[in-house]
Amino acid sequence: MVVNPRFKQVFVLSTAMLSFISFWKAASIVLCDFGSSAYYAGGIAMNAFGPAFPWFIMGVMLFSGLMLGVYTESCLLFVRGGVYVVVREAMGKVMAKLSVSALIFDYTLTGPISSVTAGLYLGGLLENVLPLMHINWHVPARAFAVVFALLVTGYFWRENIRGVEESADNNLKIISFVTLVAVVLIGWAGLTLYHRGFTLPPFHPVFTDKALGWTVHFPWLKAVGALGIIMAFGHSILALSGLETLAQVYREIEDPKFENLKKAVITIFVFSVLFTGLLTFMSSLIIPPDLVAGKYADNLLSGLALELDGPYWARLGLQTMVVISGALMLVGAVNTSFVGSNGVLNRVADDGILHDWFRHLHKKYGTTYRIINLVAITQILIILISRGDIFLLGEAYSFGVLWSLTFDTLSMIILRFKKRDEEQEWRFPFNVKSGGVYLPIGLVAVLLVLLAATGMNMLTKKVATIGGVLFTVTFFTIFHISEKMNEKKAQLYMPDEDADEKMNLRSESDIAKVVPELTGTRRILVPVRNPNNLVHLAAVLETVDDETTDIIVLSAKIAKGIQSGAETMSDEDREVFSAVVLLAEKYGKTVKPIFVFSNDPFFSMAQVAQAAGADEIVMGVSGSTGAEVQLERLAMAWGMLKKPGEPGKPVLARVVWEGRQMTFQLS
Amino acid sequence: MIRQSDGVSLSALIKPGNTIYIEGKPSKDEVLRLLTERMLPQVSGAISAKALADRVAEVEKLNQVLESGFYIPHAKFPELGSFYGVLGLIPQGFTDPATGHTVKAALLLLSPHKPAFFQRHLNMLSLLSQTFQPELIDKLASLNDPAAAAALLASR
Repeated sequence: MVVNPRFKQVFVLSTAMLSFISFWKAASIVLCDFGSSAYYAGGIAMNAFGPAFPWFIMGVMLFSGLMLGVYTESCLLFVRGGVYVVVREAMGKVMAKLSVSALIFDYTLTGPISSVTAGLYLGGLLENVLPLMHINWHVPARAFAVVFALLVTGYFWRENIRGVEESADNNLKIISFVTLVAVVLIGWAGLTLYHRGFTLPPFHPVFTDKALGWTVHFPWLKAVGALGIIMAFGHSILALSGLETLAQVYREIEDPKFENLKKAVITIFVFSVLFTGLLTFMSSLIIPPDLVAGKYADNLLSGLALELDGPYWARLGLQTMVVISGALMLVGAVNTSFVGSNGVLNRVADDGILHDWFRHLHKKYGTTYRIINLVAITQILIILISRGDIFLLGEAYSFGVLWSLTFDTLSMIILRFKKRDEEQEWRFPFNVKSGGVYLPIGLVAVLLVLLAATGMNMLTKKVATIGGVLFTVTFFTIFHISEKMNEKKAQLYMPDEDADEKMNLRSESDIAKVVPELTGTRRILVPVRNPNNLVHLAAVLETVDDETTDIIVLSAKIAKGIQSGAETMSDEDREVFSAVVLLAEKYGKTVKPIFVFSNDPFFSMAQVAQAAGADEIVMGVSGSTGAEVQLERLAMAWGMLKKPGEPGKPVLARVVWEGRQMTFQLS
Repeated sequence: MIRQSDGVSLSALIKPGNTIYIEGKPSKDEVLRLLTERMLPQVSGAISAKALADRVAEVEKLNQVLESGFYIPHAKFPELGSFYGVLGLIPQGFTDPATGHTVKAALLLLSPHKPAFFQRHLNMLSLLSQTFQPELIDKLASLNDPAAAAALLASR
């Protein structure tokens, strides 16, 4: 189909490919953060309450299944969810600001704890490898870890400023390699246990004075029985860090969204129980307790590899594999902490609670460099203050994790009542129907566990409580002041000069330049105009396989004198695109959004459809003209753009509205 | 429901008897009036003059002037059983106030208002707009002979 060269007035201003990922990739992104705690959680817990640690790490991993259930329900409610959105919907902006402040504390600490742990594992390996190479350097483990952590943080600081995107493919490769190492480790550890036999670790936690925190001042708070269990659980709960990533990644999961979410959740749960839970447990059965507390306290899985049965060279080889897999996963978690903090802060900025100063874009790379700088500087300070002490970092870590999980679960309970009339695809189990309302007994039970652990940690974890409260209050204050300043700014509204860049627009002179990017065997053109009338797009997304079909979403803006080339998108245009992107995310299907300026929307529809070789044009019904007139105008534009006498490729033209549609052929 | 993609032809629609040349620089309303007047004898048994004028005026509000300078006012009537058309050629053209396009050819098209006929109606609109491209319009306008114009269209 040749486009009549007289009609080149239509030009593409924006194209943005929305792509979605498989459940494997989604699970691997979450696991690169969530699963990385396997490398340090056991050692930190051992340091706090002794040899009972594997029971509690396993308990936390099993509890993660419940938290994954809570996140699943919240993801189904909000495609672009996460703690901030969920808490805001349930309890309002003030509580949302508090919860997101705690979450930022979690993300910020993820970087230092991961990079320092990676440094400690590498340092431990060098201690073993260098003598074999006749290099008699003594590598002070913590100093090495600090230097390594600073280098890693600096690297990802630079990468995030440059806007290099996190690749789901890389995450999948890392997790595949980690899985391979874990399978070898579990198998080998199983053989070792078979030959050596084993004694189960004691269940009763024995706390150090430091691990008791302020509770030593409350004689009635004895660290025994149920209270002891809650204390130990609280000291182990840092292993839950990274679950929030599931809420962030849900929007990227491909169709069928819910089925893939379930598969991702099951994958994450099984991996975590086996990798973090089982390996920590096996470590405690194989490594002598004094070595767990001493030599291997900050590189437990290295210790497991080295303490297995077998020749030293083979064990050293396995340790090398463990360290490489750990370094990859932990270093990936550092990047996740940058991406996560930046993403969450941008999300709250969209909601007007972070001043635009923070969102100023880098002139060359177009990234929100001030937020990235803030995260990087905070992480570097934390690394320096910690001096490579993983226990100090672990002590501080669980504050953000627990508070954000608590806020999230409480909000989900409130939303059960607020959204009682809404159909839900899935609910967290154990609901009792009473008076037309499903009472969320299961969610309440989870909340009670979280509240108990949160309350206890506030008393036992001094560093976490002081650091967490200071950090949260600081961020809450920044959000509060920003919100007030933005409210004033809104009254004296001035257009933002960076507005276009924030939409990631790409300008093209002609629609023909976009056509080579279409790779499907079928092509459907979906014109959109009103963000509140996207029934037709939903109908397409619901039924079309985006693996084989390109869905081109066209927004045409009427512009007279369109040859100037100086047109920009208005807020209304952005609103249309935002609605399109949200809908595509909801269905997990890829669309190709295109924005054109034209003096006739039907002309641009026909031109794009003919240039792209579309098989179908699916329109929403216009309230002002009606479906028949829309089809007539499209037929006229379609004919006008065809060369006289040329048969051309026929296209199906559909007008879709609630419960009805009209379909005709344009030839 | 996808309808049969029925073929349509211009030769049956446009004949010397329903092709007119309009001299001077008429207004859009004048052109519409002249086309309606020429149409009326063809459909007088089925549609009254008032009904035709009212309906054409109503659909005209939707403005059917194409980029190519071709104007297709059209209306559907349940009383009709086939297409009816009147082609007006305006050698000096008129300027459409809504779009600014110079119009040298206008075709008043009446179609049956029946669901089964809508596919053919769309095909006809598509065929008309495909056929009446600027080069052909200029050629038709310069002929100044309804029979020659109809013959030229039939040959295409």
